[in-house]
Amino acid sequence: MPAPNVITGTLLEGQCLTLEQLCGACTVSAEWVSIHVREGRLQPPGEGPAQWRFSSRDLWRARRIRQLEVAFDAEPELAALFADLLEEVDRLRARLGASGL
Amino acid sequence: MEFKDYYQTLEVPRDAGADQIKKAYRRLARKYHPDVSKEPNAELRMKEINEANAVLSDPEKRAAYDALGAGHAAGEQFRPPPGWDAGFEFSGDGFRDDGGADFSDFFSELFGRMGAGRHPGERHGRRARGGDHHAKILLDIEDAWRGAPQRIELRVPKVDAQGRVALETRTLDVQIPTGVREGQLIRLAGQGSPGAEPGAAGDLYLEVHFKPNPRYRIDGRDLVMELPLSPWEAALGAVVAVVLPDGSSLKVRIRPGAQGGGQLVVRGRGVPGDPPGDLVANLRVVLPPADTPRAKELYESMARDLAFDPRAPGGA
Repeated sequence: MPAPNVITGTLLEGQCLTLEQLCGACTVSAEWVSIHVREGRLQPPGEGPAQWRFSSRDLWRARRIRQLEVAFDAEPELAALFADLLEEVDRLRARLGASGL
Repeated sequence: MEFKDYYQTLEVPRDAGADQIKKAYRRLARKYHPDVSKEPNAELRMKEINEANAVLSDPEKRAAYDALGAGHAAGEQFRPPPGWDAGFEFSGDGFRDDGGADFSDFFSELFGRMGAGRHPGERHGRRARGGDHHAKILLDIEDAWRGAPQRIELRVPKVDAQGRVALETRTLDVQIPTGVREGQLIRLAGQGSPGAEPGAAGDLYLEVHFKPNPRYRIDGRDLVMELPLSPWEAALGAVVAVVLPDGSSLKVRIRPGAQGGGQLVVRGRGVPGDPPGDLVANLRVVLPPADTPRAKELYESMARDLAFDPRAPGGA
């Protein structure tokens, strides 16, 4: 069997995703992202949508918030709060794992 | 492809009202939410539930599905007749951002093309590009450290030559970038769903997690490990070798009087990167067993000659 091609991945370091890339990856509209940025639930650096750059964490967070909004008709603020709590759970689970529990 | 019984998926009768469907969906979404669920296959079940809800909670899609699906049972081979959706007028409101990219071929076959052509514009433009996919991968810390090529197997729903939907294993050989950290994303351009035109395929995002490792832990950019010391290495100081995840060895100096529970930090020898992380060694003093006459004699000698009480105020 011929050796398969090795695909080289791009590590998403820092703030590297454009608005369009974030929208594509989360299946959300630019308007949805703009509202969440305006309300402070996502905080990309940059003056306006064309300059916004999002991190891996933003992508993860946007997907979670969107899923919560869709699944439970959650108010965006509530979905963001729940996303915060899930991030805290992730951190605590990582610490538990590190302690061998 | 196989017919999907969305009513069965949401565990509701076919005449369920909108409220009943909403309640059932929320109950199941709580049960199978992948962030909190302990159910097996929670992620897969959540996708099925989302898909069923996207159809049954939308009056237009539900009406079309009911008309088309009458008399079919879950798992039955099924192909919608050509032009089956003629006679339905879809407002487009049903094509909200509902994560459609993650839905099954059955859903795509029935509803995926409805918005296209009827509502050109942003939504149409996004559909012309293939959907992005997401997958979690588990890496050994040693492999991530070295940036070694990794063979990754992903389960993907595919339609076979007979039109049946089955989970296929997709194997990818991926060069893991050096210094990847827990929770980071690796983007594989063009490895998502195919687009409407060549070169318009979506991307695949791999979310990196590490397998539990008995020796190492990655905390942000820092490499955390336990460093066992003998009592004399801790008391007198020593130069000891620690083995890094790539197999190389690093000599570190232990200062005299080190205690178990202390930490040794070596700047810049953690996860490679710019800037690199630190190596954090948690010191643990290991006592040799007193299982020979000579070992007992040495402990007795220490007990006799050292005025040491670990329970005294101040530790001695």
